[in-house]
Amino acid sequence: MKDDLQKKVAEAIRDPKNVGEMSDADSVGTVGNSECGEMLRLWVKYKEQDGQKVIDKASFQSFGCETAIAVASLATELIRGKTADEALEMKPEELSGELGPLPPMKIHCAELVQGALRDALSPHDQELDQAESPAKPAELSPTLQDSLNAGQAKSGGINIQFLDE
Amino acid sequence: MSETITGDSSMQAVLQVFPGAQRALFRKYHIGGCSSCGFQPEETLAGVCERNGDLPVADVLEQIRQSHEEDARILIEPSVLAKRLDAGEDIRLVDIRSREEFEAVHIESSVLLTQPLMQKILGTWDNDQRFVVIDHLGKKGLDAAAYYLGHGMPNVHALRGGIDAWSLEVDSAVRRYALN
Repeated sequence: MKDDLQKKVAEAIRDPKNVGEMSDADSVGTVGNSECGEMLRLWVKYKEQDGQKVIDKASFQSFGCETAIAVASLATELIRGKTADEALEMKPEELSGELGPLPPMKIHCAELVQGALRDALSPHDQELDQAESPAKPAELSPTLQDSLNAGQAKSGGINIQFLDE
Repeated sequence: MSETITGDSSMQAVLQVFPGAQRALFRKYHIGGCSSCGFQPEETLAGVCERNGDLPVADVLEQIRQSHEEDARILIEPSVLAKRLDAGEDIRLVDIRSREEFEAVHIESSVLLTQPLMQKILGTWDNDQRFVVIDHLGKKGLDAAAYYLGHGMPNVHALRGGIDAWSLEVDSAVRRYALN
Protein backbone atom coordinates (compact mmCIF):
# COMPACT_ATOMS: atom_id res chain seq x y z
CA MET A 1 0.00 0.00 0.00
CA LYS A 2 2.79 2.34 0.96
CA ASP A 3 4.69 1.59 -2.23
CA ASP A 4 1.51 2.05 -4.22
CA LEU A 5 1.02 5.51 -2.72
CA GLN A 6 4.60 6.44 -3.44
CA LYS A 7 4.17 5.32 -7.03
CA LYS A 8 1.04 7.44 -7.45
CA VAL A 9 2.73 10.40 -5.81
CA ALA A 10 5.70 9.99 -8.12
CA GLU A 11 3.37 9.91 -11.13
CA ALA A 12 1.59 13.06 -9.98
CA ILE A 13 4.90 14.80 -9.31
CA ARG A 14 6.25 13.90 -12.72
CA ASP A 15 3.63 16.08 -14.35
CA PRO A 16 1.96 18.25 -11.72
CA LYS A 17 -1.11 20.05 -12.95
CA ASN A 18 -1.97 23.70 -12.40
CA VAL A 19 1.36 24.82 -10.99
CA GLY A 20 2.03 28.53 -10.81
CA GLU A 21 0.53 31.86 -9.99
CA MET A 22 -2.71 32.87 -11.70
CA SER A 23 -2.54 36.51 -12.70
CA ASP A 24 -6.30 36.94 -13.17
CA ALA A 25 -7.39 35.02 -10.06
CA ASP A 26 -10.48 36.13 -8.15
CA SER A 27 -9.16 34.79 -4.89
CA VAL A 28 -5.98 33.52 -3.28
CA GLY A 29 -5.42 31.45 -0.16
CA THR A 30 -2.20 30.76 1.71
CA VAL A 31 -1.37 28.34 4.46
CA GLY A 32 1.97 28.03 6.23
CA ASN A 33 4.54 30.74 6.71
CA SER A 34 7.74 31.98 5.16
CA GLU A 35 10.00 30.52 7.83
CA CYS A 36 8.41 27.11 7.59
CA GLY A 37 9.25 24.44 5.08
CA GLU A 38 5.57 23.89 4.51
CA MET A 39 3.78 26.55 2.59
CA LEU A 40 1.07 26.32 0.01
CA ARG A 41 -0.69 29.04 -1.94
CA LEU A 42 -3.74 28.44 -4.04
CA TRP A 43 -5.40 30.70 -6.62
CA VAL A 44 -9.02 30.37 -7.73
CA LYS A 45 -10.89 31.80 -10.71
CA TYR A 46 -14.68 31.64 -10.89
CA LYS A 47 -17.15 31.59 -13.76
CA GLU A 48 -20.92 31.69 -14.10
CA GLN A 49 -22.53 28.40 -15.04
CA ASP A 50 -26.25 27.70 -15.08
CA GLY A 51 -26.87 30.71 -12.88
CA GLN A 52 -24.29 29.59 -10.35
CA LYS A 53 -20.84 30.86 -9.53
CA VAL A 54 -18.53 27.87 -9.92
CA ILE A 55 -14.79 27.38 -9.89
CA ASP A 56 -13.47 27.74 -13.40
CA LYS A 57 -9.87 26.90 -12.61
CA ALA A 58 -7.40 26.78 -9.74
CA SER A 59 -3.64 26.78 -9.49
CA PHE A 60 -1.07 26.42 -6.72
CA GLN A 61 2.48 26.85 -5.61
CA SER A 62 3.94 24.68 -2.91
CA PHE A 63 7.10 24.66 -0.92
CA GLY A 64 6.61 21.32 0.70
CA CYS A 65 6.90 17.60 0.29
CA GLU A 66 5.97 15.61 -2.79
CA THR A 67 2.69 14.43 -1.29
CA ALA A 68 1.49 17.99 -0.69
CA ILE A 69 2.31 18.87 -4.30
CA ALA A 70 0.57 15.72 -5.54
CA VAL A 71 -2.55 16.41 -3.47
CA ALA A 72 -2.64 20.05 -4.59
CA SER A 73 -2.27 18.97 -8.19
CA LEU A 74 -5.20 16.56 -7.89
CA ALA A 75 -7.32 18.87 -5.78
CA THR A 76 -7.07 21.77 -8.22
CA GLU A 77 -8.46 19.45 -10.87
CA LEU A 78 -11.20 18.03 -8.62
CA ILE A 79 -12.67 21.38 -7.56
CA ARG A 80 -13.26 22.59 -11.09
CA GLY A 81 -16.94 23.11 -11.76
CA LYS A 82 -17.83 23.07 -8.06
CA THR A 83 -19.29 25.98 -6.15
CA ALA A 84 -17.22 27.39 -3.29
CA ASP A 85 -19.54 25.68 -0.80
CA GLU A 86 -19.21 22.33 -2.54
CA ALA A 87 -15.43 22.64 -2.61
CA LEU A 88 -15.35 23.66 1.04
CA GLU A 89 -17.28 20.53 1.97
CA MET A 90 -14.60 18.29 0.52
CA LYS A 91 -12.68 16.34 3.13
CA PRO A 92 -8.90 15.87 3.01
CA GLU A 93 -9.34 12.28 1.85
CA GLU A 94 -11.52 13.48 -1.02
CA LEU A 95 -9.02 16.13 -2.03
CA SER A 96 -6.29 13.52 -2.28
CA GLY A 97 -8.45 11.89 -4.96
CA GLU A 98 -6.87 8.98 -6.78
CA LEU A 99 -3.94 8.88 -4.37
CA GLY A 100 -6.35 7.02 -2.16
CA PRO A 101 -6.34 6.98 1.65
CA LEU A 102 -3.24 8.65 3.02
CA PRO A 103 -1.27 7.12 5.93
CA PRO A 104 -1.44 9.07 9.21
CA MET A 105 1.93 10.76 8.62
CA LYS A 106 0.72 12.12 5.27
CA ILE A 107 -2.78 13.27 6.17
CA HIS A 108 -1.21 16.57 7.10
CA CYS A 109 -0.37 17.08 3.39
CA ALA A 110 -4.03 16.95 2.40
CA GLU A 111 -4.95 19.16 5.35
CA LEU A 112 -2.43 21.69 4.07
CA VAL A 113 -4.29 21.80 0.75
CA GLN A 114 -7.64 21.96 2.51
CA GLY A 115 -6.37 24.89 4.59
CA ALA A 116 -5.26 26.83 1.52
CA LEU A 117 -8.56 26.07 -0.15
CA ARG A 118 -10.54 27.31 2.85
CA ASP A 119 -8.46 30.46 2.91
CA ALA A 120 -9.10 31.06 -0.78
CA LEU A 121 -12.81 30.24 -0.73
CA SER A 122 -13.89 31.84 2.53
CA PRO A 123 -16.40 34.68 2.10
CA HIS A 124 -14.03 37.10 3.80
CA ASP A 125 -11.35 36.52 1.20
CA GLN A 126 -13.75 36.74 -1.68
CA GLU A 127 -14.94 40.13 -0.49
CA LEU A 128 -11.39 41.23 0.02
CA ASP A 129 -10.38 40.08 -3.40
CA GLN A 130 -13.31 41.73 -5.09
CA ALA A 131 -12.37 45.00 -3.47
CA GLU A 132 -8.76 44.84 -4.59
CA SER A 133 -6.92 44.00 -7.75
CA PRO A 134 -6.17 40.28 -8.19
CA ALA A 135 -2.41 40.77 -7.85
CA LYS A 136 -2.61 42.66 -4.58
CA PRO A 137 -3.24 39.81 -2.14
CA ALA A 138 -0.15 38.02 -3.40
CA GLU A 139 1.92 41.13 -2.82
CA LEU A 140 0.60 41.49 0.70
CA SER A 141 1.45 37.93 1.71
CA PRO A 142 4.85 36.30 2.09
CA THR A 143 5.92 34.79 -1.20
CA LEU A 144 7.23 31.33 -1.86
CA GLN A 145 10.40 32.91 -3.06
CA ASP A 146 10.84 34.30 0.44
CA SER A 147 11.00 30.72 1.61
CA LEU A 148 13.13 29.50 -1.22
CA ASN A 149 15.52 32.38 -1.12
CA ALA A 150 16.48 33.42 2.38
CA GLY A 151 19.13 35.67 0.87
CA GLN A 152 16.54 37.76 -0.96
CA ALA A 153 14.59 38.15 2.26
CA LYS A 154 17.68 39.62 3.88
CA SER A 155 18.12 42.23 1.16
CA GLY A 156 18.71 45.71 2.48
CA GLY A 157 20.67 44.87 5.61
CA ILE A 158 23.66 43.09 4.15
CA ASN A 159 27.25 44.07 4.71
CA ILE A 160 29.56 42.43 2.20
CA GLN A 161 33.25 42.27 3.03
CA PHE A 162 35.62 41.08 0.31
CA LEU A 163 38.21 38.68 1.64
CA ASP A 164 41.03 40.09 -0.50
CA GLU A 165 40.79 43.57 1.02
CA MET B 1 32.01 8.30 9.68
CA SER B 2 28.36 7.65 8.81
CA GLU B 3 28.64 4.34 10.69
CA THR B 4 29.03 6.32 13.91
CA ILE B 5 25.45 7.59 13.67
CA THR B 6 22.97 5.51 15.63
CA GLY B 7 19.66 6.03 17.35
CA ASP B 8 21.52 7.39 20.35
CA SER B 9 23.20 10.11 18.30
CA SER B 10 22.07 13.67 18.87
CA MET B 11 20.32 15.40 16.00
CA GLN B 12 23.21 17.84 15.96
CA ALA B 13 25.59 14.95 15.26
CA VAL B 14 23.22 13.53 12.64
CA LEU B 15 23.16 16.87 10.82
CA GLN B 16 26.94 17.18 10.99
CA VAL B 17 27.43 13.83 9.27
CA PHE B 18 24.40 14.16 6.99
CA PRO B 19 23.83 17.87 6.27
CA GLY B 20 20.77 16.97 4.19
CA ALA B 21 19.12 14.95 6.96
CA GLN B 22 16.60 17.64 7.80
CA ARG B 23 15.54 17.85 4.17
CA ALA B 24 15.26 14.07 4.02
CA LEU B 25 13.25 13.87 7.24
CA PHE B 26 10.85 16.56 6.12
CA ARG B 27 10.28 15.18 2.66
CA LYS B 28 9.64 11.68 3.90
CA TYR B 29 8.19 12.09 7.40
CA HIS B 30 7.26 15.75 7.85
CA ILE B 31 9.84 16.20 10.57
CA GLY B 32 11.90 19.36 10.93
CA GLY B 33 9.95 21.52 8.51
CA CYS B 34 8.73 24.14 10.94
CA SER B 35 8.36 24.91 14.62
CA SER B 36 5.48 22.47 15.09
CA CYS B 37 7.44 19.51 13.77
CA GLY B 38 10.98 20.63 14.58
CA PHE B 39 13.52 19.00 16.85
CA GLN B 40 16.13 20.14 19.33
CA PRO B 41 19.83 19.74 18.50
CA GLU B 42 20.46 17.74 21.65
CA GLU B 43 17.51 15.40 21.06
CA THR B 44 18.49 11.89 20.02
CA LEU B 45 17.44 10.43 16.71
CA ALA B 46 15.64 7.64 18.59
CA GLY B 47 13.77 10.24 20.64
CA VAL B 48 12.65 12.09 17.53
CA CYS B 49 11.50 8.82 15.98
CA GLU B 50 9.60 7.83 19.10
CA ARG B 51 7.57 11.01 19.35
CA ASN B 52 6.76 10.95 15.64
CA GLY B 53 4.61 7.89 15.53
CA ASP B 54 7.31 5.54 16.85
CA LEU B 55 9.10 5.40 13.53
CA PRO B 56 11.61 2.53 13.17
CA VAL B 57 15.04 4.08 13.75
CA ALA B 58 16.70 1.75 11.24
CA ASP B 59 14.27 2.80 8.49
CA VAL B 60 14.76 6.47 9.25
CA LEU B 61 18.54 6.10 9.23
CA GLU B 62 18.37 4.30 5.90
CA GLN B 63 16.20 7.08 4.51
CA ILE B 64 18.74 9.66 5.66
CA ARG B 65 21.61 7.70 4.11
CA GLN B 66 19.77 7.25 0.81
CA SER B 67 18.86 10.90 0.70
CA HIS B 68 22.47 11.81 1.43
CA GLU B 69 23.51 9.85 -1.65
CA GLU B 70 20.76 11.52 -3.70
CA ASP B 71 21.98 14.90 -2.52
CA ALA B 72 25.44 14.01 -3.76
CA ARG B 73 23.95 13.30 -7.18
CA ILE B 74 22.27 16.72 -7.25
CA LEU B 75 25.54 18.51 -6.61
CA ILE B 76 27.81 19.49 -9.48
CA GLU B 77 31.49 20.19 -9.02
CA PRO B 78 32.64 23.70 -10.02
CA SER B 79 35.31 22.31 -12.35
CA VAL B 80 32.80 20.00 -14.03
CA LEU B 81 30.34 22.85 -14.56
CA ALA B 82 33.10 25.05 -15.99
CA LYS B 83 34.09 22.37 -18.49
CA ARG B 84 30.53 21.78 -19.59
CA LEU B 85 29.89 25.49 -20.01
CA ASP B 86 33.11 25.84 -22.01
CA ALA B 87 31.94 22.98 -24.20
CA GLY B 88 28.85 24.99 -25.03
CA GLU B 89 26.27 22.93 -23.17
CA ASP B 90 22.92 24.63 -22.66
CA ILE B 91 23.14 25.02 -18.90
CA ARG B 92 21.51 28.02 -17.26
CA LEU B 93 22.86 29.46 -14.04
CA VAL B 94 20.38 30.68 -11.45
CA ASP B 95 21.78 32.67 -8.54
CA ILE B 96 19.67 32.51 -5.39
CA ARG B 97 21.68 34.94 -3.24
CA SER B 98 20.55 38.43 -2.28
CA ARG B 99 20.54 41.18 -4.87
CA GLU B 100 23.36 42.94 -3.01
CA GLU B 101 25.57 39.87 -3.16
CA PHE B 102 24.72 39.30 -6.80
CA GLU B 103 25.55 42.88 -7.73
CA ALA B 104 28.81 42.67 -5.80
CA VAL B 105 29.97 39.52 -7.55
CA HIS B 106 28.46 36.88 -9.80
CA ILE B 107 29.37 34.25 -12.34
CA GLU B 108 29.18 35.43 -15.92
CA SER B 109 25.91 34.53 -17.63
CA SER B 110 24.17 33.80 -14.33
CA VAL B 111 20.84 35.40 -13.52
CA LEU B 112 19.45 36.46 -10.17
CA LEU B 113 16.42 34.51 -8.99
CA THR B 114 13.50 36.86 -8.63
CA GLN B 115 9.81 36.15 -8.17
CA PRO B 116 9.10 36.66 -11.90
CA LEU B 117 11.99 34.36 -12.82
CA MET B 118 10.77 31.77 -10.36
CA GLN B 119 7.38 31.82 -12.09
CA LYS B 120 9.05 31.69 -15.47
CA ILE B 121 11.13 28.65 -14.55
CA LEU B 122 8.08 26.76 -13.34
CA GLY B 123 5.73 28.06 -16.00
CA THR B 124 7.67 28.31 -19.25
CA TRP B 125 11.00 26.54 -19.00
CA ASP B 126 11.17 23.10 -20.50
CA ASN B 127 11.00 20.56 -17.68
CA ASP B 128 14.20 19.01 -19.00
CA GLN B 129 16.12 22.29 -19.08
CA ARG B 130 19.49 21.91 -17.39
CA PHE B 131 20.23 24.57 -14.82
CA VAL B 132 22.44 25.03 -11.82
CA VAL B 133 21.47 26.79 -8.62
CA ILE B 134 24.21 28.96 -7.15
CA ASP B 135 24.34 30.18 -3.58
CA HIS B 136 27.15 31.65 -1.49
CA LEU B 137 28.70 28.67 0.29
CA GLY B 138 26.68 25.71 -0.92
CA LYS B 139 24.34 25.54 2.04
CA LYS B 140 21.08 26.72 0.42
CA GLY B 141 21.54 25.45 -3.12
CA LEU B 142 20.47 21.91 -2.36
CA ASP B 143 17.20 23.09 -0.84
CA ALA B 144 16.46 25.21 -3.88
CA ALA B 145 17.37 22.40 -6.27
CA ALA B 146 15.18 19.99 -4.29
CA TYR B 147 12.31 22.44 -4.68
CA TYR B 148 12.57 22.35 -8.46
CA LEU B 149 13.11 18.59 -8.48
CA GLY B 150 9.86 18.36 -6.56
CA HIS B 151 8.21 20.28 -9.37
CA GLY B 152 9.25 17.76 -11.99
CA MET B 153 12.47 19.35 -13.26
CA PRO B 154 14.98 16.48 -13.14
CA ASN B 155 18.00 18.29 -14.59
CA VAL B 156 18.54 20.85 -11.87
CA HIS B 157 21.79 20.80 -9.95
CA ALA B 158 23.31 22.78 -7.11
CA LEU B 159 26.85 24.11 -7.34
CA ARG B 160 28.93 22.30 -4.73
CA GLY B 161 30.39 24.91 -2.39
CA GLY B 162 28.50 27.75 -4.05
CA ILE B 163 30.12 30.76 -5.67
CA ASP B 164 32.85 30.64 -3.04
CA ALA B 165 34.07 27.29 -4.37
CA TRP B 166 33.81 28.61 -7.93
CA SER B 167 36.12 31.43 -6.94
CA LEU B 168 38.60 29.07 -5.29
CA GLU B 169 38.56 26.34 -7.91
CA VAL B 170 37.60 27.91 -11.23
CA ASP B 171 37.82 31.67 -11.48
CA SER B 172 39.70 33.75 -8.92
CA ALA B 173 38.45 36.91 -10.67
CA VAL B 174 35.17 36.21 -8.90
CA ARG B 175 36.01 37.78 -5.57
CA ARG B 176 35.41 35.90 -2.36
CA TYR B 177 33.50 37.62 0.38
CA ALA B 178 32.00 37.21 3.82
CA LEU B 179 28.74 38.54 5.17
CA ASN B 180 28.85 40.59 8.35
